[in-house]
Amino acid sequence: MSKNSSTNELINLLVKSLRHKIGGIVNLNEIYAQKYSKDAEVLFKEAEKVCRKENCHNYDKERIKNELKENLLIELKKCDFLDNRKFDIMDEEIGLALRVLGLD
Amino acid sequence: MKFQHKVSKGSRFNQIYIPSGMQQYFQAGDIVEVRLVEKNNFLFFSKNLKEISEFKEKLAKDIFFSLKDFNIKQAFLVGSFLTKKVDYNDIDLLIVSNHENEEKIYNFLAEKFNLKFHILVIKEENFSKLLEICPLTRSMLFYYISNKEFKGLPKRVLDKKHINFLLMMPKDLLEVKAESRVFYDSIRRLLAIDYFLRAKNEDTCKIDVEIEKIIGKDLFEIIRRNGTITDKEFLLLRKIIKQKLNSIQQRL
Repeated sequence: MSKNSSTNELINLLVKSLRHKIGGIVNLNEIYAQKYSKDAEVLFKEAEKVCRKENCHNYDKERIKNELKENLLIELKKCDFLDNRKFDIMDEEIGLALRVLGLD
Repeated sequence: MKFQHKVSKGSRFNQIYIPSGMQQYFQAGDIVEVRLVEKNNFLFFSKNLKEISEFKEKLAKDIFFSLKDFNIKQAFLVGSFLTKKVDYNDIDLLIVSNHENEEKIYNFLAEKFNLKFHILVIKEENFSKLLEICPLTRSMLFYYISNKEFKGLPKRVLDKKHINFLLMMPKDLLEVKAESRVFYDSIRRLLAIDYFLRAKNEDTCKIDVEIEKIIGKDLFEIIRRNGTITDKEFLLLRKIIKQKLNSIQQRL
C-alpha cells in the first residue's frame, strides 16, 4: 500500500472512531457510554495498527490533522441524529487522539 | 400429613416431587396446598432461561450477595455466561444504580472472585428508557438472572435517532477493515435491530442460529472466536451487512 493510501486509511479510521466517541459522549450522555465507546475503541485500534506501520514526518502530521478536522466535520454534519454539542468537543477529541498516536 | 421439599426447575414448569416415603399419603387426585416457607436467596430467572447449572446458580447468589453493600437498585447477570455451557468469555453484569460506577464494582468483584467480569452500570431512568427503545438492551435481557423481580420488557418504542446511532458501526464496516469479531458483533446488532423493528423477540440464541444459517457453521465459529478470515469471506460478511442495512433502512 502506498504511503498516500495508508495515510488516507488512517484518516478514515480516525474520522469514524472519533465520530463514535463523540456520539457516545453527546448523544447518550451516561446512558450506556461504556458499551458504545467500544465501537470507537475498535476503530481506534485499527487506526493504531496503520499508524505503527507509518513513518510520519511533520508535514504528514500536519496533513493528517487538517484532513481529519475537515472530514470529521463533514461526517458530524451528516449525523443529524447526534446532538449539536458534537461540534463543541470535536477539536478537543482530535487533539487527544493525535496525542495518543504521537501525531500531535 | 405434610413434608417440605425444594421446588425444582422443569423444562416447562417448576415442580415439587412427592418424596417416595410419602407416596401412599399423597396420591394422584388428592388436593394439596403449597405454601412458601423460605425464599431461595432471591434469585429471579428470566422465563426464557431453560437450564442453569448448580455451579452457576451458586455463583450468581454469591455475586448478588457480595453486592449488598453497594448502592444498587437491581443487578442482572446476562450474556453468554447464561446461554453457553462453558464457552463464555466473561461474566456480564448489568447494574441499575444512580450512584455506583463500573470501575469500583469491577475491582471489587475481580478481587473477590478472581473472575473476568464485564460491568455495565445504567441509571434507573435511563434503564427504563433503554428497555423501550434499545434493541441491544432488550436482547441482553432476553436471558437473565436477577437479584430482584423484573417485570419483563415493556412495549417497544421506535426512536429513530437511537437506531441510527446503533447503525453507525455496521455502516462503517462497509468502508473499513476490522477484526472478524467486529463483523460478528455488527451482524448480531443488525439482526437484533431487525427483530426489534419487526416486533419479534430479540432472542440472542435465535439470532446466533440465524447467523449460522446465513454464513455457515465454519465461518460462524471463526468470526465468533475472532479468527482470521479470507478476503472472500470478508466480502461475504460485508455483503450480508449491506443487505441487512438496506432492509432495516426500508423499515425505518
